[in-house]
Amino acid sequence: MKRLLVILAVFYCLGIILAGLLRINFWVITVSATAIFAAVILWGRKNGIFLAAVLFLALLVGYLNTRNSWVLSNCHIYKLVAYKDSALYWLNGRIVSQPEFKNNRLWFILRVREIQLDKLRYKCCGEVLIKMDFEQALNYGDDLTLAGNLTRPPGFGRSRGYRDFLARQGIYLIMPIKDYRQIIRQDKFNGVGFIRGCFWLRNYLEQVIRRHLPALPASILAAMVLGQKRDIPWLVNNSMVKSGTVHILVVSGFNVGIVAFMINLLLKILRLGRKARIILIAICLLVYCAITGATNPVIRATVMSLVFLAAYLLRREPDIYNSLTSAALFILVINPRQLFDIGFQLSFISVLAIVYFYPKFETLVHLEAWRSKILKFFAQGCLVSFSAWLGTLAIIALNFRIIAPVTVLANILIVPLATLITLCGFTLVLSGLIYPDLANLISLPTAALITLLLNLNAALIKLPFAFFYL
Amino acid sequence: MLNFTPEERKITLFLLSLALCGLVLNNLIKVNCRIERMVYPPIQLARLNLNKVNLAELAAVKCVSAVLARRILEYRDLRKKFNSLEELKEIKGIGDQRYSKLKELFYIE
Repeated sequence: MKRLLVILAVFYCLGIILAGLLRINFWVITVSATAIFAAVILWGRKNGIFLAAVLFLALLVGYLNTRNSWVLSNCHIYKLVAYKDSALYWLNGRIVSQPEFKNNRLWFILRVREIQLDKLRYKCCGEVLIKMDFEQALNYGDDLTLAGNLTRPPGFGRSRGYRDFLARQGIYLIMPIKDYRQIIRQDKFNGVGFIRGCFWLRNYLEQVIRRHLPALPASILAAMVLGQKRDIPWLVNNSMVKSGTVHILVVSGFNVGIVAFMINLLLKILRLGRKARIILIAICLLVYCAITGATNPVIRATVMSLVFLAAYLLRREPDIYNSLTSAALFILVINPRQLFDIGFQLSFISVLAIVYFYPKFETLVHLEAWRSKILKFFAQGCLVSFSAWLGTLAIIALNFRIIAPVTVLANILIVPLATLITLCGFTLVLSGLIYPDLANLISLPTAALITLLLNLNAALIKLPFAFFYL
Repeated sequence: MLNFTPEERKITLFLLSLALCGLVLNNLIKVNCRIERMVYPPIQLARLNLNKVNLAELAAVKCVSAVLARRILEYRDLRKKFNSLEELKEIKGIGDQRYSKLKELFYIE
């Protein structure tokens, strides 16, 4: 069977969904899974039985992994803090995310080692979201002692979107910090050097962009090239949601492809061998993944690229469905709750829809027979855009309560423009590092293209029946 | 002499065309300052004009409820127009916290 991995992933996902619907005891399922596993080893010689048992096992593993991810360890900080507690807690731990200044607050995640209430001190684990009302020079890996109240994330009545979003990342508590005196900084670095290096590189590259462009185009380019969305104005983001083109503001497979292409070209010029090139490209892609914050779309694209590179290395034919499934499984095995994350769903379903629908539409309109290259290019753009729109229509309508028929047209016009901007962005960053005078020149057409993109988007959402809310 | 692969040729052409575009735009900006406004995105694309925004647009803004939107428009009608964003603080329901968010969303012309 060529695509066994795809079927396995489907059953694994079914297990995750069942974990949300059924409340069967963890140990009952564990015993059943062990029994099936033993039965497969003992009697699973017939192919049909073996396959059925393995698929059922994948379903049970999905169920167990999800249930297990809900269980917090006894030392988890959430279990040590009472509900609606206004006591003053002292937390000892290290910063595990790059602190970001957003909405006039500094946000970061603290991995807690120790908690102190009055004079009682406990060893504990877990992560807490810290929001500080002032800016301070903090970095990933810094060791801190913080004092303050611990609160649960706001739920806003029935919709518990924010609380669930944080819970999916393993965060159940927030600590607001309002005063400098609530922080004691230890002078030691406690993180992973590689990650710190990646964050440093990201900040440096962001500075290069900001040095050569004004605030608005710089914020858009930083999002497209480095995945830094925090400075994008609300109006820009909102108008792109309306036109269904907000996906261009995140780092995706296309960016990963550009990085791989650039590195490959550079290594080819240096006359490196095929194997060495593939290994170095893989390393660079992992670094780029870390730089952009390892979000779901980047992990998907990176894992897919690594699968393709491995196939080239082993001289095997890569399969897009299998590589997509490997990426999904990679994320879902680590954190099964990501299946319910809207970003995860959109990222995978849009690629799946393009891969599945596009060849069918292509055959339907006999695209191969078209002679005009321009028309063919335009039609290809239309079909890709329409395939992605068709695949994500239901999810967007359900989650954002918006249907945007303008999406297809907007994507045909905006995606090629965004592609050009991304290419200019990478060129700008590289030339900014090597030859700043050239970067000054490149920044002008880049800014002009961004202006064109924003104007085009603003004009498209003003069209009649461009979008409507459900 | 120039033994380039097709990809290398494409990249060289791309870089040259970008630099050429940059040079042309640089020259045009020096000659005519209006071009600069065309090259860089205007503020209208990133923020709403507080003196022209209508109720529907205002109510759709994050951190502005329908009631607050109505209060802002009532204030604007009373004073004819906003002279500075600081005036938002005089409206009931806008404290320092909300103002710091709102000032990133609006501009005054």
